[in-house]
This record gives sequence, structure tokens and C-alpha cells, in this order.
Amino acid sequence: MNDIFPALFHMLVFPGGLFALVAGLFLKGLDRRVEARMQRRVGPPLWQPFLDIVKLALKQTVIPATAQRTAFLAAPVLGFAGMAVCAALIPVAGAYAGLPGLGDLLVLFYLLPLPAVALMVGGSASSSPFGALGFSREMCMMLAYEVPLLAVLLAVAMKVGAATGVGVEFSLSAVVGYQLAHGSLALDPVMWPALAAYLLFLPGTMGVPPFDVPEAETEVLEGPLLEYSGPALGFFHLASALKTMVVLGLGVAMFFPAPLPGGALVNVAWFLAKCAGLMLLTLTVVKAATGRFRVEQAFLFYLKYPAPLALLSLGLAWRGL
Amino acid sequence: MSGGATAKTYTLPVGPVHVALEEPMYFRLDVEGEIVRGVELGAGHVHRGMEALALRRTLFQNIVLTERVCSLCSNSHPYTYCMAVENLAGMTVPERAQVLRVIAEEIKRISSHLFNVAVLAHIIGFKSLFMHVMEVREIMQDIKETVYGNRMDLAANCIGGVRYDLDEELTGYLLHGLDSVRGQVEGVHKIYSSDRMLLRRSRGVGVLGAADARELGVVGPVARGSGLELDVRHNAPYGGYALLGVEPVVERDGDVHSRAMVRLREIFVSIELIRRCVRELPGGPTTVLLPEIPAGEALARSEAPRGELVYFLRTDGTDVPNRLKWRVPSYMNWEALGRMMRDCRVSDIALIVNSIDPCISCTER
Repeated sequence: MNDIFPALFHMLVFPGGLFALVAGLFLKGLDRRVEARMQRRVGPPLWQPFLDIVKLALKQTVIPATAQRTAFLAAPVLGFAGMAVCAALIPVAGAYAGLPGLGDLLVLFYLLPLPAVALMVGGSASSSPFGALGFSREMCMMLAYEVPLLAVLLAVAMKVGAATGVGVEFSLSAVVGYQLAHGSLALDPVMWPALAAYLLFLPGTMGVPPFDVPEAETEVLEGPLLEYSGPALGFFHLASALKTMVVLGLGVAMFFPAPLPGGALVNVAWFLAKCAGLMLLTLTVVKAATGRFRVEQAFLFYLKYPAPLALLSLGLAWRGL
Repeated sequence: MSGGATAKTYTLPVGPVHVALEEPMYFRLDVEGEIVRGVELGAGHVHRGMEALALRRTLFQNIVLTERVCSLCSNSHPYTYCMAVENLAGMTVPERAQVLRVIAEEIKRISSHLFNVAVLAHIIGFKSLFMHVMEVREIMQDIKETVYGNRMDLAANCIGGVRYDLDEELTGYLLHGLDSVRGQVEGVHKIYSSDRMLLRRSRGVGVLGAADARELGVVGPVARGSGLELDVRHNAPYGGYALLGVEPVVERDGDVHSRAMVRLREIFVSIELIRRCVRELPGGPTTVLLPEIPAGEALARSEAPRGELVYFLRTDGTDVPNRLKWRVPSYMNWEALGRMMRDCRVSDIALIVNSIDPCISCTER
């Protein structure tokens, strides 16, 4: 019983739930501002995503007459809830040890696709042909980027497990602990292909150009999101903000979690700074500098580059290097 | 190509209001997975009855009306209309006016082509390139506003000449602007010829072979992108073009990329034309006294940014025309969509439609 309250606190307030929400929305605001500046525009203020959420909350969710009501309304909430829990599983070195009892890398791997699945279910339930197109495209993209993700997670787990003698180490807290003692995995040449694969995985999973195929506004009119409005759409945006924090935080925890000397507050700020840096590199710059792939081009891209890179690291880690 | 519906296909409604189209047009697509099997067009959303309106206005007022048929070709329409009236009345337009008309036309052509090329980038999701090209176009918009007073509708033509003139200051400003545009468009041309993302999305997409192009009677950059040397400025020079001599810009492959390249290369041709016009601008009046417009029929054609534009005018001696008909270039290019979209992907639909540079306002009047 006593374990529940701390777990709930971590899931709902810090670092999950509220904290991840605020940080995620703020990161999105930063991303929009920097992208605008790269395009020689002024851009919205940093707190624009908060304003957007408030605006959406005040509007009405219009449900198409032919839509499947329950699935249509439950899908965004599902994505949001899944990501809120995930955020609690990411350790912040020097501030938060994670919830090893609640979940590890494997649980994260299962929960991470939830926003994408929510998008698919919502798109399908909306009974719009564009939703159906978005559904199939999102499915195709998931097939593409889940393979490198799994390979990267396994590579990290095997690397740490081999070094600590347990074989495979899925606990994220242990992975972070190992790096604090023996140096970040980002400094290990064996893990560089996995790091590269993870960096390439990030724009795909966040639906950012060149991989924004499922929500291509000029092709499928936002795909699954087309029929959404009001608070239901707001939940999709919140789920996306949370997912941003989760995948960036996961990248930081798996490859360069090293803390700064100082208290918890300093390290939380340092963690956020690292997340922001990772985001600017892999999401913002990529978004501003590219167009959009066709769905089969995006699929083949993931097969040709991130997948072999991640498998390379996996192979090397498995051989004990 | 229509009615490809089978048990395996579903209907995808594209338009009338669509993110990728500036104007309303309804496409009813039969799609199998991601492949388009059938296309049906539903037009008429912007029909304003302009040919009927033209019969309720005097010949003068129709200059204003024809300018508003389309905003991107907005100089070609009154230009061709005025030529039709001048042909009917047997008027000779002064040389200075002819050259000034060419300048206005070519300025509009550059802006129109830049717009189309920018929208190509937008459709493939390359927002930064879209904004970059639009910003280059802003130089042209500034030129238009400075020289003519308006960013889109120039109101440059009148029956018998032009309504504007270039002095030293305006000429200097114009040439300076053209120099900036030229440098920037060279950069843009390099991007469009070599950016791998762009090439992957536009090469081999929406192919129209030369034989098909000839059979369908397409005009403008669509025809020239498929290897046909169709350019009214070259085949049947009119006005100032008779003195200048224009070589048509032709590409062979007939895909979306070729058509974009034709437009980009034509920008360079237009810049050179304007520079020549400014250098060789003859003196003299910019307009002639208007005679009585007799009863009769006349035809005039010109090369609008989208292709061959034809105006037919019939008068009965009064100052209100008896019949004014115009056949726009976009009207000839719509049918080609059926061939180009054969078995294309959903992702390519907006791209192919944009590559024929459709002007729906022009088509539906």
C-alpha cells in the first residue's frame, strides 16, 4: 500500500504526468520557435503549445455521425495515459532513480507505440477515408521504425548486461547506474551505431518530416487527425508532447545520463537541457531542412540505415565487445 | 480516365476545399490501397459568369473585368483582350507601349512561375524551401507594387497602349530588383536540380509523353515539359515579341520535375527579356487616340504564364461587345491529368495537379 503513493506521485506529478506535460509542451514551443527562425520567420512565443491546448479544451469535440464513438473518444485518452506512465519510468540521474519495480526497457518498448496505435485506432474509428489512409501509413511506419528501436534497446541491455555479468540487463535504472560508474555509452565506439540508429529513429517516431507520412497535410489532410477537434484533439497533442519527453529522456538515459555535481534541481535542469539539445539536433533541424518521403521510401530508409546500424551494435554487444 | 471503381477500391474525395489546392476543384478518386485507379473532375465552384458579365459592360470596363479573371495571369487577360480590340479596329499600338506591355507580361510570368515552383515544395512537405522561394518572389511583388501600384493586378494595359510609364528611377529600381532575383533564382534552380529528396518525389511522377501531349493538345509549360516546342511568343510572335525573338524552353522527360525545370528556366529567359526591353526602350507615346470601334470580329492570342490564351471578340458598332469569349490555357491541360494520374500514388495526386499549374478561376470564368 505504501508503495502506491510514491508510484502514483511519480506517474502523475514528477517526472511523469504534470512535469512531463509542462516540459514536453515547452520543448514543443522551443521546437516551433527555432524552426521558424531557421525559416527566417519570427515564430510563435515559447508558450504557444499551452495556449493551443487551452483553446482546444474550450472547443467542442465534433464526432462524425458515422464514426465509432467509443473508439473515437477513447483513442486519444489511451495514448495520453500510456505516455504519462512511461514518463515515470525514465530515470533522471542525480534527481530521480526511476521505478524499477514498475517497468523496464521491455515495458517501455511495449508502451512507446501507444500514441501511434491511438492515432491508428482513432483514424480508423473516424470513418473518414483519409483516416483509413493514415491508419495504413502509420502501420507501415511503425513496422519500419520499431525494428531499429528494438535492436537498440536490446543492444543497450546486452552491453550493460555483459559488462555487469547478468547477461541481459533490462532495468533502465541499472543501465543508468552502470553508466554513472563506467562512463556513458555514448563514449563507447561499440554503441555508436546504436546511437546513430536511435537518432534516426527519433524523427520517425515523432512523425516529423521527412517521416510525417501518416499526417501529411497536403496528401491525406492530416490523416487520422482530420476528424478530431476540441478536447479529443487536445489529448492527441498532449500525448505527442509527453511522447517527446519520453523518447528524448530515454535517449538521454540510455546514452549520456551523466549528472552534474549539484542537487536535484540542477540535475533536472541539466536533463531538460540535454533533452532540448537532442530535440534540436534530431527533430528541429531535420524538420526544417527536408521535405517528406513517400511511405515506401520512408519504410525502405529505415530498413537500409537505422536497422543495420542498430543490429551491428547488437551483434557487437552480443559478442561481448 | 474515370470510373475505375471496383470492389477493391474506395472513394477518396479530394476537394473542393483542399490543403494543397489554392482554388476549389473536386476530384473524385477511386483508390486501391495507395494507387489511384480512376479520376473524375467536378468543376464549377468558382464559376462567376464572367462571359455574361462582359456583355453588360462597355469595351473599356471589360479591361478591368478581364484583369480579374485570374490573379496570376492577371496581365495576360487584359493584354490579349486589348490586342483583340486593336485587331478589330485596325489600330497600331506605339512601339514604346508594345515594349512596356512585354515588360509587364514578363514580370507577371516570373512571379507566376516562382509561385508554382514554391507550391511544389510545399506539397512535398518541404516547408522551408517553400518559404524560401516565396521570399524570392517577394522581390517581384515589391517591384510590381512600386512600378504599378499593386502586388497582383497591374492595370497596365488600355486599348491602344499602356497606362504606365518607366522613368529613370523606376528603371533603376526594376533592374536592381531583377539582379537580386536572378542571383536568388540561380540558387533555387540549383536546389531543384540537385536536391535528392525533391528529385525522388518529382522524377518519374506524372509522366506525359510527347505523343500524348500532342494528342491532348496541351499548351504552355506542360507541353514544353514533354518536348513540344509550343510557345506563342515563338510560333506566332505578337506585339513587342515580334521585335525580340523568344526561344522556347523545352525539357524532354514530361514528368513533374521537367515541368518545374521549364518554369525555372523560363524565369531566366524572362529576366533577360526585361533587361533587353529596358535597354532598347524606344521613345514616343505610350498610347494612341481611340477611334470608333467598328462592328466586326477579331481574334488575339498570347502566351500567358500557363500557355496559349485566345480571345475572341465580336462587336456590333456599339460600345458594348456582342460576344467576348476567352479560351484559357488551363482548359487544355485538364484532360492530361487523366493520363498523368494513371496508376499514380495518393501522395502524388496534389503534386501532379500542381504541376499542370491549373488556374481554376481561369477555366471556370
